[in-house]
Amino acid sequence: MSGAEDRRAPPPGRAAARRPVAPRLGRGLLLAAFSLLFVLYVAGPVAWLVSSSLQTEAQATAVPPNWLPPEPTLANFEAIFRAGERVVTYETRRQGDPATGGFLPTGAQNLLPSLRNSLVVGLWVAALNLLLSLTAAYAIAVIDFRGRRATLYTVLATRVIPDIALVVPLFLVIRALGLINSLAALVVTYLAVTVPFTIFILISYFEGIPRDLYRAARVDGCGHWGALRQVYLPLSLPALVAALTFAFLTSWNEFVFALVLTQNVEAQTLPIVISGFVMDFTTSFSFVNAAGVIAIVPPVLLAVLFQRYIVSGLTAGAVKG
Amino acid sequence: MATIVCEALTKRYGAVTALDALDLTIAHGEFMVLLGPSGCGKTTTLNLIAGLEEASEGRLLFDGRDVTWLPPHRREVAMVFQSYALYPNKTVFENIAFPLRLRRTPRAGIERAVRAAAEQLEIAHLLDRRPHQLSGGQRQRVALGRAIVRNPAAFLMDEPLSNLDAALRLSMRSLIKRLHHQLRATFVYVTHDQAEAMTLADRIAVMRGGLIQQLDTPEGIYERPANLFVAGFLGSPPINLIEGRIEDGAFRRAELRLPAPRAEPGREVVLGLRPEDVEAPAPHLVPLAGRVELVSPLGSDTYAEVSGPAGTSLTLRVPKGWRVREGEGIEVGVDPARLHLFDRATERRIA
Repeated sequence: MSGAEDRRAPPPGRAAARRPVAPRLGRGLLLAAFSLLFVLYVAGPVAWLVSSSLQTEAQATAVPPNWLPPEPTLANFEAIFRAGERVVTYETRRQGDPATGGFLPTGAQNLLPSLRNSLVVGLWVAALNLLLSLTAAYAIAVIDFRGRRATLYTVLATRVIPDIALVVPLFLVIRALGLINSLAALVVTYLAVTVPFTIFILISYFEGIPRDLYRAARVDGCGHWGALRQVYLPLSLPALVAALTFAFLTSWNEFVFALVLTQNVEAQTLPIVISGFVMDFTTSFSFVNAAGVIAIVPPVLLAVLFQRYIVSGLTAGAVKG
Repeated sequence: MATIVCEALTKRYGAVTALDALDLTIAHGEFMVLLGPSGCGKTTTLNLIAGLEEASEGRLLFDGRDVTWLPPHRREVAMVFQSYALYPNKTVFENIAFPLRLRRTPRAGIERAVRAAAEQLEIAHLLDRRPHQLSGGQRQRVALGRAIVRNPAAFLMDEPLSNLDAALRLSMRSLIKRLHHQLRATFVYVTHDQAEAMTLADRIAVMRGGLIQQLDTPEGIYERPANLFVAGFLGSPPINLIEGRIEDGAFRRAELRLPAPRAEPGREVVLGLRPEDVEAPAPHLVPLAGRVELVSPLGSDTYAEVSGPAGTSLTLRVPKGWRVREGEGIEVGVDPARLHLFDRATERRIA
């Protein structure tokens, strides 16, 4: 049933004779309308982010707004990538005019280093999270050891506490370790957030893998490492990709911990630096949005890269079927 | 190849005892079938032998060597599962080669061994396929290939034919029997199917509630069931069981009277009569008469449900060449030597 067919509305007089058409048409239109609304709701802000980043400040703040850039310009992006070259003196500190888009907030030169920090932290978190969760989830899901349930519940209980309640204790611990204002502090903290949740995801996935495959692998000659590598890893690729993406995005978006645990460009991440632009005396919306566009590039790349792996049905044919 | 000895092997899950002090010696090259209903402890026994579960108590010996605490990958046993348990991400070739790769067998050796196993099981043309492209029977052949490709101490089979349809089950059954003859290896085979047990086994261990009820050859178990459970579990259609008591050297139940010279008088007993143990009446046989209620022709045999004397309902095999009709009377002869007597209280065999 295609949409084009639905739109051939019957003449009013014959509507009664072909009763099914009218409700079908109505349903199709309704579905289309809500789909459109949903797409606007989800994609609208992103579209505006991209559109305004290609406009000058005057164009971006005009009323009525320019939905599409009248004269697309890369000036905002140029400003971001040139920010490091600029020498700020007392005289040049107010250089640029917010209305033309050449305005640079203080701290603009921190944007690229913070992008690097965010990437480094995100990749470490994604990798270590997977390594830790994988082994823990295998142990809990597969090996029948004493205290297995207690372990699982303890792991899950840590996730019941809201992050904000952990900020001060974590700050004290990290300070005691002498890790304040380091990327390591962020990696460790984010792992504490992501690992329990990832363990939970992987356990439920592992438990869906037929137990007989584990038995077969062990009898065929695999130790626990072998069974994990030969059976559980290849069969849980979708879950692993999901875990990887989840950990990276959590780390990439995290704000509160990063705000408390880092102090300067050495360790600050993208959300901290970008939020700093808005709190400045003068805010350049087009510049902030250009920074925002840069901030969403890595997650989008990640999604595009991994989408084909997020397919289930890999276990088809393992057992009777 | 190995002799497997279980010594007081016990497995408990919390308060539940799945296996209760099992003593079992499986001889080198023997085909041992563990037979019983689900939950009887047969699969637990197999898992303990494979090392997939740890014994709560007792010892397990392979050729005199204590392997109770040896992890499964160092026990050198091969296993075949009801669910086939093929690795879905590997080709048939890689599935069969997998145990060899783990043992770092040289490449040429693997190639040769896999080809040989595949030829033997007639799956050589499927080596490049993946498990999901195969039928159930083909998958179970691949699983057998994965087991025979190395030289295991024992083959453990956990209801390998239960997922196959009836015709395939028959041909796979003879395939497994042939494999046992060719390999001369120790087989431990778990099933709840009495026909599989009878056809395959050198010896059968009938299990219930974590205990062995009887351990004997298929003939022994069929001819001399040790208790009521074993008598009822083997045989199709099942054995007729009639409650009564011993009086004057005979089994009595109301007007029904069957000779039982060796049983002690006054005992409350259950009499067992297999449907196939009746013949045409003859001088040396005890007559048994009744009315045919239902006739079930199976082609090779015809069974009749008969309402017998003393309010009994019996299933009997109609003697060859007879024509019986529902509602008509029937009289057959019973050989007293083929009757089974069990104590009603202990359920044990008495004659």
